Amino acid sequence: MADKLLIGISAQTVTAAHWRGGKIVECLTFANDEGGQADFKDFLDRSADTPTHIMVGAVEEDYRFETLPHAYGSDRADMVGRKLKQHYRNTTYMAATLLGRDTGKRRDDRYLFSALTNPDLIADWLQAVAARGMPIAGIYLLPVVGAGLLDKLDVKATNLLLVAQHATGLRLTFFRDRQFRLSRLTRGDSGRPENRTRYFSEEISNTRLYLHALRTMTLDEHLTVLLIDRGDELQEEAAGVARENPSLDCVRLGRSELAGRLGINNELLEASPYAIYLHLLGLKAPLSNLAPASTMVGYKRFQARRAIYAACGALSVAAAVWTGTNLYQSVMLSGDTEYAARQTALLSSQYQEITRQFPQAPTSAENLKKTVEIAQRLRATAHTPQKVMALLGRALEVSPAIVIRELGWKYGVTEIEAEGARTLEAAPSAPGGAAGQRKESALIDGEVRPFRGDYRSAIITINGFADRLAEEPEVSEVKVVKLPLNVNPALSLSGNTLDNPEQGGTAEFKLLLVIKPPK
Amino acid sequence: MNQADLQALRNPLLVVAGVALLGALAVYSSGRLMIAARQQLAQQQLQLKDARTRLQKSGEEKDIIVRYLDSFRQLERNGFVGDEQRINWLDGLRLANQQADLFGVDYQIGAQRPYLHAAEFSPGPLALNQSVMRVRFRLLHEGDLDRFLVSLARQGAGIFAIDQCLLRRIDTRGVIRYQPNVNAECDLSWITVRVSASGEQKKP
Repeated sequence: MADKLLIGISAQTVTAAHWRGGKIVECLTFANDEGGQADFKDFLDRSADTPTHIMVGAVEEDYRFETLPHAYGSDRADMVGRKLKQHYRNTTYMAATLLGRDTGKRRDDRYLFSALTNPDLIADWLQAVAARGMPIAGIYLLPVVGAGLLDKLDVKATNLLLVAQHATGLRLTFFRDRQFRLSRLTRGDSGRPENRTRYFSEEISNTRLYLHALRTMTLDEHLTVLLIDRGDELQEEAAGVARENPSLDCVRLGRSELAGRLGINNELLEASPYAIYLHLLGLKAPLSNLAPASTMVGYKRFQARRAIYAACGALSVAAAVWTGTNLYQSVMLSGDTEYAARQTALLSSQYQEITRQFPQAPTSAENLKKTVEIAQRLRATAHTPQKVMALLGRALEVSPAIVIRELGWKYGVTEIEAEGARTLEAAPSAPGGAAGQRKESALIDGEVRPFRGDYRSAIITINGFADRLAEEPEVSEVKVVKLPLNVNPALSLSGNTLDNPEQGGTAEFKLLLVIKPPK
Repeated sequence: MNQADLQALRNPLLVVAGVALLGALAVYSSGRLMIAARQQLAQQQLQLKDARTRLQKSGEEKDIIVRYLDSFRQLERNGFVGDEQRINWLDGLRLANQQADLFGVDYQIGAQRPYLHAAEFSPGPLALNQSVMRVRFRLLHEGDLDRFLVSLARQGAGIFAIDQCLLRRIDTRGVIRYQPNVNAECDLSWITVRVSASGEQKKP
């Protein structure tokens, strides 16, 4: 648990306690004079940068209960702020605490407004704390802190009056349904024990009358008085109060019971009447914090610093866990790799041992096989012009008028080109030009002989020759590239009817023959 | 949060930035280590798988060597495997010319380059190369072309593929005697294979 500095300020004394590990480890009381303030400053010097909680027990306090229309967010903050300024013009130490919703139809919000009406009471002490840059976590009124006693003591009474003897007087705090309603600090000297009983009874009666006047509680209602007797010296007073006021229960809590139920040691209880409240403040700070935002700046920064350092810690832990996991996995993977490497080496050595019995070979078995297979395939798939020549031979047998003058043949991805057939094509220079399946093609350059100027007959003969070639099952396509007379209607045609074709005319043609690719 | 707040929180913010940086660095570095280790493992497992497969197939490998070694040696001798044997090609041309009773063969051999149609044979690590030889010769008749090509293939000078041929009738004015009647011009691709060094069998 984080360290805290707990300071209880009253008109006469200041009690400062150091909270560590969930309990007060040091508790000192300083007089409200120059000497006391000097000692207090020395004490603060030993507790630098510790968040400080301040509790004030003084007569100059004020409590008001009010209902306000139910509102949210900034509207509520504005309304409450206006009310606070309206009630407390002369102090900056004020607070509004939302107690709950009203039971009426409007279900208004119920607020407790509280304030320290004499800020000068704590000014010097607060200045000493602020001057050392110590973060002030909050300023609370003692009765509000004392409400924590009900939870610790598990008191169930509907109307409860908490009575405690302080150096400055008798503190009477009233709770209804375990909710703080009123507190009074009487100024007075209890004097001798017999007077003290009467004094206690009178103050309790006065408080009941005051509560009746405020319509908080009627005189007929049952009241439980809880007498805090940290010095075990109020047995008679407790008995006297009970005797003089039959309509109330008076329960006294002695030192040992307080120490046992609150977890405070006896020495601490004896050291200061504020020790109980400082202990409660250390356990849990109440909601009703009087400190203005300007006073809380240091604490806000302290909290931000602490949050940042906590984030640092979380980041460090997360990074460490993540890094550790990664490293662990790396080590495990490296182990697996080493195991696999050992297995590989073992298998390789076994393989080497086996290969000693292999015949001497210039390359791997796979390469041997592939090389031989490629050579076999190259031989098996070799193409020659023989097939085309055989086809032509068969076609020429039934077309004696056809004379072949030139034959171009190609086995490649592209067909032989009609215009390039006079000379061999330049072979492509890059392997990229060889995409696609290769096939055989041939370009036949021939003429019809004898030709006596009968173009119609010559063209019929050529087409007949082409048709016979096309009938061959191995032929994919036969295309007439050139005829003796171009009768294409898209082109112009010229000549002279007086020309005698018998005296030197020829009937030349060109055919492109494509063989079906091998399956 | 104003300037004063930032000033007050400067050191913690610097610390958190430093911690975040160091943490990120540590996570990144360890992550890289882990990825590298994972890759090494994957690589090693691949090698292990290869070694296991190789061992399992060692018997089969021996059978392949026994079965194909002689054929491979024969291909080495006739020049299909290894460097080009151009002198053998020319000797083959000369013999084929004689055996086919041709009137002499002109030749022109181009520079060696990768075989254009190598992909059809899925050669894998083997490098197939080709050198195009253009031959010009004269024939008594068309049938001599096939005789010449068959004869050349039988010389055992290597393996070639015929890319294209052109046959052109010679005008003899109707005179019939023993003389060339057809001009022929063919492109032959002499194909060789080079076995890469990595494919060589490691012998003890």
